[in-house]
Amino acid sequence: MAAFDSVSHLEASGTPGRPGASGTLRGGGSSLSVSSLTAGYDRSPIVHDVSLDVRPGEIVSLVGPNGSGKSTLLKAIVGLVDVMGGRVLLDDADVTGWAPEEIVRAGAGYVPQVDDVFSPLTVRENLEVGGYLLPKGEVAGRIDNVLEVFPQLRRMLTRRAAKLSGGERKMLAMGRVLMLQPALVALDEPTANLAPAVAREVLEGHVRHLADIGTSVLVVEQRARAVLQISDRTYVLGGGRVVMHGSPDVLASSPEFVESFLGGTRA
Amino acid sequence: MVYYLTTLLVYGGVDAVACLGLSQQFGYAGVTNFGYIIFQSVGAYVAAVLSLPPESANGGFQIYVGGLHLPWPLPWIGAAAAGALVAVPFTFILGKRLRGDFAAVGLLVTALMCNLLVTNFRPLFNGAAGLSLVPQPFSGEATPQGAAYAWAYSAGAVVLAAAVYFFLRRVVRSPYGRTLRAMRDNDAVADSLGANLRQLRTAQLVLGGAVAGLSGGVLVGFITLWDPQAWGYAETIVLFAAVIIGGVGNHKGAVLGAILVPLGFEEATRYIPAVGPPGFIPALQWVAIGLLIVLFLWWRPQGILPERRILLSRAARAGRAVRTADDRREPAPSAMAAGAEMPARSAPAGIAAWRRPGTAEAARRAPGPVLEAVELTRHFEGVHAVDGVSIAFPAGKLSGLIGPNGAGKSTLLAMLAGTLAPTSGIVRYLGEDVTAVPAYRRARMGLVRTFQLASEYKRLTVVENLLSAVPEQRGNSFRGALAGPRYWREQEEAHIARAEALIDQFGLSKLADAYGGELSGGQRRLVEIMRALMAEPTVLLLDEPMAGVHPHLAREIGSQLLGLLGQGLSIVMVEHELAIMDEFADPIFVMADGRLLAEGTMSQLRQRSEVVEAYLVG
Amino acid sequence: MSVLVASLAFGVISASVLAIASIGFTLQFAVTNVLNLAYAAVMTASAYVAYEVNQAGVVVWVSALVGAAVGATMSYLLNRVVYTPFQRRKASPITLVIVSLGMTLIIEFGTQAFVGGTNVSYTMANGPTLGVGSFVFTGAELGIVAVAVATMIAVHVLIRYTRLGKAMRAAAANRDLARVCGIRTARVVTVTWILSGAVCGLAGVVFGMNAGSFGATSTDIFVVLILAAVFLGGPGEPYGAMVGALVIGLGTEVSAAFIQPDYKDVIAFVILLVMLVARPTGLLGART
Repeated sequence: MAAFDSVSHLEASGTPGRPGASGTLRGGGSSLSVSSLTAGYDRSPIVHDVSLDVRPGEIVSLVGPNGSGKSTLLKAIVGLVDVMGGRVLLDDADVTGWAPEEIVRAGAGYVPQVDDVFSPLTVRENLEVGGYLLPKGEVAGRIDNVLEVFPQLRRMLTRRAAKLSGGERKMLAMGRVLMLQPALVALDEPTANLAPAVAREVLEGHVRHLADIGTSVLVVEQRARAVLQISDRTYVLGGGRVVMHGSPDVLASSPEFVESFLGGTRA
Repeated sequence: MVYYLTTLLVYGGVDAVACLGLSQQFGYAGVTNFGYIIFQSVGAYVAAVLSLPPESANGGFQIYVGGLHLPWPLPWIGAAAAGALVAVPFTFILGKRLRGDFAAVGLLVTALMCNLLVTNFRPLFNGAAGLSLVPQPFSGEATPQGAAYAWAYSAGAVVLAAAVYFFLRRVVRSPYGRTLRAMRDNDAVADSLGANLRQLRTAQLVLGGAVAGLSGGVLVGFITLWDPQAWGYAETIVLFAAVIIGGVGNHKGAVLGAILVPLGFEEATRYIPAVGPPGFIPALQWVAIGLLIVLFLWWRPQGILPERRILLSRAARAGRAVRTADDRREPAPSAMAAGAEMPARSAPAGIAAWRRPGTAEAARRAPGPVLEAVELTRHFEGVHAVDGVSIAFPAGKLSGLIGPNGAGKSTLLAMLAGTLAPTSGIVRYLGEDVTAVPAYRRARMGLVRTFQLASEYKRLTVVENLLSAVPEQRGNSFRGALAGPRYWREQEEAHIARAEALIDQFGLSKLADAYGGELSGGQRRLVEIMRALMAEPTVLLLDEPMAGVHPHLAREIGSQLLGLLGQGLSIVMVEHELAIMDEFADPIFVMADGRLLAEGTMSQLRQRSEVVEAYLVG
Repeated sequence: MSVLVASLAFGVISASVLAIASIGFTLQFAVTNVLNLAYAAVMTASAYVAYEVNQAGVVVWVSALVGAAVGATMSYLLNRVVYTPFQRRKASPITLVIVSLGMTLIIEFGTQAFVGGTNVSYTMANGPTLGVGSFVFTGAELGIVAVAVATMIAVHVLIRYTRLGKAMRAAAANRDLARVCGIRTARVVTVTWILSGAVCGLAGVVFGMNAGSFGATSTDIFVVLILAAVFLGGPGEPYGAMVGALVIGLGTEVSAAFIQPDYKDVIAFVILLVMLVARPTGLLGART
């Protein structure tokens, strides 16, 4: 273990033994356990009674047709949407109903689908804000670590995020979330509005990177086939409920899987 | 005592007129005009210089333009005309799509700037010293010092206030007034349903300007002097306070507000003992007005006399005839909830309600596709939301438009309806190039859209929501409104009957008089579809009409829509619920990544690997 | 020539006063998204409290610190008691503007009720003076320029280099994203009200010093100058506000040398209106 496990440990121990610069970025993946979650806006639920697990170091994907509640589920997990029922456990901490800024402290990172960077800030400043919770002395070292994962960011550190291309922007968003070495990263449609080639790079490159350094990943994705290839397990949502789940291989070859996208879910 | 009473009446009349003009703009048309006081002030100045003799006459101690020495009523007419004229440039600020608070600041600043200019530019209206010795109406014939004159003047002011009230009431109670309230509630939707926003806003600014100008003219004719102190920015806030406290969207409230706030505060001070340092009580007056604004906005934003619900349904009007006492009672929320999600029961046989007989002909005559996109493209900051899409939508069909998230369906729909301008490409409607035709005119031509997000008018009843979309209403113009109910009533009754038939058909009869804002999500979708049908469309563009609707109800809507096709209506529907599409739409167009991918029936499309891949690969 | 020098010098002083006020205003707007038109009223109220302290024998610069504290407290309360509850109810921006105008009346005339309608002046010692060409800066004027420069540097350091400053900019740019970075945005907003309120109070005292004498309604026109400077630079852009203040301050004073001085503020009005209608994101703020 080169650096330290997770943000929660980091907070608990104050200054960790070794500064972040000492090694590559590593996140000790933690587990997420969602049980019977019901969530939505203004007291009208969009996600109904959803249970799912992410085990340490896994990539778990959430797929499903438009409007099936994938993004809302993700937002509910990180505290941006009201939880109306059920529980969210991060490792052993019950974070149900916590504010997003507190859930981050418990070790969960989140990359939204749009507005995923601070546009008026430079790339470096985005990373610095990403490392807001770090002790002051560690920010620079951690930026170096992130730049090891995403070397392309190095030559655009002084550029304003608004000027980045779609792919660069997504890279920055993921670099930003890595600053805290979260134990779990929730990604909301990381390939939305990206050209197919860039989308592949994001999924097979960037998202893989996260898992390779030990982070648990929960990814919502529109490109079902592509995300299946990098997932350990997949949940299919329809009408705000889990309609199927299992290993990607099994799902991909199942006719019901295709049907869940093309056949409608409320029928 | 006579002087006191008459002054009170004149002030009351003048304040009421001014508040009515503001209420018209702010409460009904949703135009937040913080420069309103300028109108009143211009009216006062113009009336003054029209009444005053040439500047040399009084020994030349004050300088001003004009000095025409005109007899009454010319100064008052001039005052109203000047207020109306000054309102025109305001449309430049309010016509811009500016953040509401930015526009408000712009107008507030305009008022301050005008005051500063008039204060410092003496040749116009004698600068900071202002105008005095303004001749009163009939000062040649009557003796303005006498009690009889004072009574006559105050009676005149009150009569005038009453006249303005009835005049404006005639405007707002007409179909035109309904369009104003629709614009206030949601201007983008009003635009898409055929309301010319720019024209409506300009008309309301000018109307309010004329009313305010008149109030200034009447005031200066009584107090005989006018200077920049009389119209500081705070005076505008006082008028806003009056309207907010009296009742927003209710002219009676405006009159009440005028009596309570400007007048009431002025008078109340007389009875408060002069405590504290000089200026203590007047300062506290202002504090109280500020407090009232904030407290009312918090506790009772609708004001003392809230906007009145306009009950148009058969049931309400029948009930009103019997029990007049109950007609103001709002439908109980529980009754509304009980009517929720009631599926439509009647068969699509009663369909004739959606359009007047004979209007279907245009569509039938047109050969080929009713609506066509030719190489339509739209970029958003480098992203090709829609990229060279060409589709021909056939006549008399329910065409479906599907595709994964971000495929560009809604963008395409918006370009077809004209709510979004294409980067390049052409939209053809009934064979005619309409690419440059604005949304409201396309709507009037029969190309009508609904919105993906809730777009009902929240403070219009369900019946009113439907009526708002009817084209060519006799009373839906300023002139038509002025012509009065006798001119438009009969046609309106026919429209109400049509609206009610539709409402019955869609199973919302119990909610006919409920406000749009009181409905459930599914009911709102129904209202939007019904409203679009009231616009007598030839082509109806539906953007996810079933989103948030119970599946059972969605099927009912689907079969209702199919029933409409036979009579010249064509429908284009964006919907992500593919089972619904399968059942009702044919042909179906698939979009992915801003392009048209495939076309066919759902079962054909299911066999095509590129479609399956588009959904799975995104 | 000497007229030009004098007007430039006056311009620098006006710009200094305006810069302090505009920075506070724009910072407040950026982070809280409230167009707080009661800002100028808070300035005056703070200036008055500082005046009372000054009359009790305290040096004007120390009184200015009291003024800053008053501005901070009032702004904190204004947000806590008035704006936040309305925002929680999802009040429209236009409603908030009406509320802020109501608060303007309450604060402005509340001040007047206490102090009366007469104008007051600070008691200031004649400090060192500085001659520039034919113009002589008084000690107070030098102090004003120094305070402005210090404020600008302080704000620059705050937003560029401190953790709090970055959190403020992050919260201004994207509230939700700031939260998922672990920033307690509610606290950042509160701190912003306090800091910008302190700047506002300071601006009030400096305004009173520069004006010579001031009354409860003296800032009615000044608020337009603030808005002009803020919108010229782009609302929510601290550097834009600094540039805007310099342009407006110099512009009004220099133009006063050539046109009738009564009209000097009209230039600010015209700039503000043109900016609002043509480019509401400001000259510097048009990037996003």
